[in-house]
Amino acid sequence: MHELYIVLAISELVVGGLLLVRLAIGPTTSDRVVALNTLSTQATLSLLFFAAFAGRTSYLDVAIWLASFSYLGTFVWARLLERELL
Amino acid sequence: MREGLTIALCAVGLTFTLSGAIGILRMPDVYCRIQCSSKTITMGALPALLGLVVAEGPFTAYGGRVLVVVLLLAVVNPAASHALARAAYKVGVPMWAGTVADEPHEDEPVAAGSEWSEGSEGSDAAVPPAAGNRPEEV
Repeated sequence: MHELYIVLAISELVVGGLLLVRLAIGPTTSDRVVALNTLSTQATLSLLFFAAFAGRTSYLDVAIWLASFSYLGTFVWARLLERELL
Repeated sequence: MREGLTIALCAVGLTFTLSGAIGILRMPDVYCRIQCSSKTITMGALPALLGLVVAEGPFTAYGGRVLVVVLLLAVVNPAASHALARAAYKVGVPMWAGTVADEPHEDEPVAAGSEWSEGSEGSDAAVPPAAGNRPEEV
């Protein structure tokens, strides 16, 4: 099972690399925010699987924090694009 | 049995994650990319995490916290995608030329630039969708 965990963690990071391309070339800011939102979820997944692989429960807390607060970034960007923040 | 279920769930999750990422790379405009992004999370991340829960058991140190993450992702991600799509539509990010429906603007003429149209940061300036994006009136 542990090989499966590390394979999944690395695969999610590879998918995150694909998303980095969109983050770099995205024609509008909204495209970049979409890529960033998905990228943070990929990072959460990768952390969770790496925690299961390494057998360290303390990495799970980092993943929970990332899952809870990465969406705040998306909401703030959405509000900023609508000009409701300024 | 348990390992087989785990491997199947992780394979489903990885397949959908990969297809969603390719969709984010290849889709023509931001609205299609938002659709691919939310599919990546609901169909890609949740089955993979449920596979982890099946492998570790729901009441262990791993399974419980992973279930918390599953709940967070399932609740917050649709709201985030909705807020993002709404913001993109309000700012007037241009749609793909092949778009066939633009329901909020169907009755109006071309939307005038809003009050913040002068703040043209990047290419997110308030450009109303081109008239060619509308369906023909029948």
